[in-house]
Amino acid sequence: MHIPDGYLGPATCGVLYAVMIPVWGIASKIVKKNLKAKHVPLVAIGAAFSFVIMMFNVPIPGGTSGHAVGGVLVAILLGPWAACIAVTVALVVQALLFGDGGITAIGANCFNMAFVLVFTGYYLYKAISFNSPVTSKRRVFAAGAAAYVALNAAAFCTAVEFGLQPVLHHTAQGQALYSPYGITVALTAMMSEHLLVFGWVEAVITALVVKYLQKQDSSFFQE
Amino acid sequence: MPKTHTLFIERSLTGTLAFVKESLYSEECAARNGFLQSLDPRIKTVSFFIFLCVALFLKNTALIGYMYIFCFFLSCLSRIQPGFFLKRTLVFIPLFSLLIVVPAIFSIITPGREIASFHFGGMRLAVTRQGIDTAALFLVRVSTSVSFVVLLSLTTKHTALLKVLRVFKIPQVFVMIFGMCYRYIYLFVGIVENSYLGIKSRVGGFISSSQGRSLVAWKIASLWQRSFQMNEDVYRAMLSRGYSGETFVFEEFKTTVRDWVWLGLVIMMSAAIVYCSRRV
Repeated sequence: MHIPDGYLGPATCGVLYAVMIPVWGIASKIVKKNLKAKHVPLVAIGAAFSFVIMMFNVPIPGGTSGHAVGGVLVAILLGPWAACIAVTVALVVQALLFGDGGITAIGANCFNMAFVLVFTGYYLYKAISFNSPVTSKRRVFAAGAAAYVALNAAAFCTAVEFGLQPVLHHTAQGQALYSPYGITVALTAMMSEHLLVFGWVEAVITALVVKYLQKQDSSFFQE
Repeated sequence: MPKTHTLFIERSLTGTLAFVKESLYSEECAARNGFLQSLDPRIKTVSFFIFLCVALFLKNTALIGYMYIFCFFLSCLSRIQPGFFLKRTLVFIPLFSLLIVVPAIFSIITPGREIASFHFGGMRLAVTRQGIDTAALFLVRVSTSVSFVVLLSLTTKHTALLKVLRVFKIPQVFVMIFGMCYRYIYLFVGIVENSYLGIKSRVGGFISSSQGRSLVAWKIASLWQRSFQMNEDVYRAMLSRGYSGETFVFEEFKTTVRDWVWLGLVIMMSAAIVYCSRRV
């Protein structure tokens, strides 16, 4: 889901940077206000955690393997605004230092994974687990369902961004200048793999991690 | 009980080892006595950002191709092994992009003047001139952009590159989080590697798919627990070094005439490329 440089045109990159700048501003204000000084390192730890979570390969039925993104898990553990900053930091480090995801596409990648994925996942988790005890099975289900829906919501946004490129940027003869596939092809390609495979990986891993943390130390889920 | 190969263990171990190896090599390249390494990281980052924007805005495949050649020339001046640079910039993302863009050369995606056709599974597929042009532009743009980012990362110390973000008016607290995150990544990668080595030594050659997922989930959960416990120690260490809630990032950067000459050249070159693209 990491969009590299050159896939999106300047207009899409610019608009999504413009959308994310106020989100980052609000996130930093809220985190600064609510987070105690002693929890500042926790945001950095959360960012590193969301970076390395992608290195945990998970077996998928059929003999192959994939990895989880972990955005919803970080949102459940840190809260949505701190998670937004943590995932943003992880994405910037990945793009700038390791060439994974484009620099001009940082706004788009952060919109999809640090905003849509994190907030959809967090609020869906809150809605499904509404007032249930911190050790209840309902929370495990809520985490899995939220992760599945949120990952697919992020994949949907990514597909729409790809699908808009031939409409927004083309030559006089109609030749695409960036991602060449229209909305139907982009949505079919992105959503089929996320609805059928990656969404389930994300759901199962998020639910299992929440289940283990409930057993080990349920204070992580205290509000 | 259904059994599965331990592919996920091998992939994770290979991934972590490749990450560490690549990072060490990157830091070694950044310490070399080359042209780009001698520039101020702030000026270098701004100039590479200009190149990236030019590559993004251009609509001419040949001009973007020349930019790639220029990037390769810069890598040679900066003492990066040509073989490594070509492999690093043309294999992973560009190869993936090539696989993605192949269907776009056919008339079903990009209609236009047909230059070849064949039958596949009872369906007639025609390659169009416009399709080839679209695919070529897309691939060259992606490869060139990736190359500039990789070259920046290879010729700049990672800690300096994160401090450079101050140029873009990013708050100091963010810059501090970037720096801390970067250090934790290496610690965590070590933990991930040890975790998978532990799994490998316990499960032998085979493990069921569901057991594998449970094991991985347990490892992720335990990594979070360790991270959370570490937070307290890190905060105490910060206090002992004088942290009072306000963040200061030391900047030891210094620009020279050479840096400004380079930036001037980059701006002139970019303007010339944009001018040429409008004339072509």
